[in-house]
Amino acid sequence: MHDKHIASAFDRDLEAIQAQIMKMGGLVENAILEAAISLETRDEERAEAVRVADKAIDALEETINEEAARVIALRAPAAIDLRVVLSVIKVSANLERIGDYAKNLAKRTGVLSQMEPVNGSAGALRRMAKEVEGMLKDALDAYVARDAELAQDVIDRDIQVDQMYNALFREFLTFMMEDPSNITACMHLHFIAKNIERMGDHVTSIAEQVVYLVTGAIPDEARAKGDKTSLPS
Amino acid sequence: MNDMRIVERKVDTNEVKIAAKDVQVYYGDNHAIKDVSVEIEDKTVTAFIGPSGCGKSTFLRCINRMNDTIDVCRVVGDIMIDGEDIYDPKVDPVQLRAKVGMVFQKPNPFPKSIYDNVAYGPKIHGLAKNKADLDNIVENALRRGAIWDEVKDRLHAPGTGLSGGQQQRLCIARAIATEPEVLLMDEPCSALDPIATAQVEELIDDLRKSYSVVIVTHSMQQAARVSQKTAFFHLGHLVEYGETTTIFTNPVDPRTESYITGRIG
Repeated sequence: MHDKHIASAFDRDLEAIQAQIMKMGGLVENAILEAAISLETRDEERAEAVRVADKAIDALEETINEEAARVIALRAPAAIDLRVVLSVIKVSANLERIGDYAKNLAKRTGVLSQMEPVNGSAGALRRMAKEVEGMLKDALDAYVARDAELAQDVIDRDIQVDQMYNALFREFLTFMMEDPSNITACMHLHFIAKNIERMGDHVTSIAEQVVYLVTGAIPDEARAKGDKTSLPS
Repeated sequence: MNDMRIVERKVDTNEVKIAAKDVQVYYGDNHAIKDVSVEIEDKTVTAFIGPSGCGKSTFLRCINRMNDTIDVCRVVGDIMIDGEDIYDPKVDPVQLRAKVGMVFQKPNPFPKSIYDNVAYGPKIHGLAKNKADLDNIVENALRRGAIWDEVKDRLHAPGTGLSGGQQQRLCIARAIATEPEVLLMDEPCSALDPIATAQVEELIDDLRKSYSVVIVTHSMQQAARVSQKTAFFHLGHLVEYGETTTIFTNPVDPRTESYITGRIG
């Protein structure tokens, strides 16, 4: 880690802003898990709590952006300090998007719990959400520890989430073809799967910010793309 | 991707104007500059940054042999301007200083009229053929110093009567009146208010078209704003020298990073 600034208030500002990121990250991790559990257990109250909690996540993003703007205006950060400030802005934006996807998942839980369950899908979605939550946890740990290797590992793991999504995509397609009365539920479930897959992309983007923070360079976009559903079959 | 960057810092040439090799400076027993080698480019603003006492001003003063005036000061190593060794015994330091102009921290106009401040150098170096020619040189220098419009109606008023920012631009006009090739500036804005500073910085950017400008500054923001190349000095060493953008976004040496982010003094 770096030495302290001569102006100690600058250190306090940077620490405070990063503590906000960690707080926001914790809330988002929780939202992912709670949303997935509420879907699996068809617990509408729990889903409602996820929707309400999203407001706190949005508020934190706003606070972080304001603080970042203030640090830029007052302290003219350079080099590593500048990267910290730029990264918190991007990380908070990514966290906010993940929070929105979790909220959307919770909303669909309300609709889905009124319908017949689709064979085994909620469990698969929860496992997928759990995977993304684990990646987010590691990405945030890598952020705190300034660990570019761990961040790279998170980036590499996104392919697993993509593969889980591919499998579910095909599964939902099959269900819908078998029985058109499944279409409404399967469309909702598919959106949920797609949203979890997108969460993974945002986690990847956070991990890339960690690499940028540590090395000063954004990693190459050369990573393998696991989501092949947009390609012609 | 490169063409999508905002390329404001484009440098027109990569010709080396000043080449220093293994320069050592001693003040008596004090080894003030240690093994400094650097190639400063033409038509470029190069900023020297570093904490007080790091040697940046001392090194700047080597470039026009201002250190000759200090008895105990000894300079070892080579400093070449356009391939010529400026410490060669055949070089006349007065002629050298006409070629390598200098602007100091505190505006120091001569206690003479605005006109005479600028005319002095061209006169003693015999650059003007007649009065009309001299008038021309003075006007041109004041225009290039971005102060002509403010003083054209009172050229014979004392230079010391101008505001601080105007005095500094007058000193810059005086320095460029002898048509130097290199302009050295030792904290030219530290005694100026932000508006005057902005005017001088604008002027520096304009002067870059014709000269190699080397500026010593304690303001890192100023170095970042005006220069294309930055050299970081610490304890007499040249720690890092490179593109200003790189120095301020992703420096290589941890000491540079510590300094520009306000961690070491």
